[in-house]
Amino acid sequence: MQPTRALFKRSVWKGPHIVPLPIVRSEPGKRVVPIRTQARSATILPHFVGLKFQVHNGKVYHDVTITEEMVGHKLGEFSTTRKPFIWNKR
Amino acid sequence: MVFIFGVNFHEQKLVQKALESFYALGRQSSSRILAKHCIHPRAKVGSLPPKTITALTAELSTMTIENDAKNIVQENIKRLRDMGTYRGRRHAMGLPVRGQRTRNQTETTKKLNMVPRRL
Repeated sequence: MQPTRALFKRSVWKGPHIVPLPIVRSEPGKRVVPIRTQARSATILPHFVGLKFQVHNGKVYHDVTITEEMVGHKLGEFSTTRKPFIWNKR
Repeated sequence: MVFIFGVNFHEQKLVQKALESFYALGRQSSSRILAKHCIHPRAKVGSLPPKTITALTAELSTMTIENDAKNIVQENIKRLRDMGTYRGRRHAMGLPVRGQRTRNQTETTKKLNMVPRRL
């Protein structure tokens, strides 16, 4: 695997930041139950690909479907915490 | 006037500066090219024999410079944007990407950060 920028920030001897997430593989055909989590700093590992997460942004849970190119990034990068500033229209 | 890699340079220009004028060639890579072709670091473009100039052009055409290098940067940003990361989103909004302040002093990002990025 190509080491991504997200991994460069961290010492190699520590390895990626692995958080124990309640990952349950549902059988094909059944509805995929998203994994609700507040662990925004959890690194996306290769075996997460295809799973659905609900990542907390401090207020609500945003749906994130993991694709192959997201591996190496953190879950929090895909759940924005900021509200865009809009002038009060009156 | 001397042609190097399709660009006209004045004869009084330093060879190193001429090489650095190409995107993705900085001080280090340009001085490496000079050393490879046995050119003095303070040599002027006009003093080069035509054989060396063709060798330089051939060398440059094998490297990823100018538009190739710019495309790589833009593809990387586009990948971030398509994934929906925070960094990609900030690029698209024209705001600082690495947590700088946004109250003021964001002129550069307003000018450059967009998809595709201005380079």
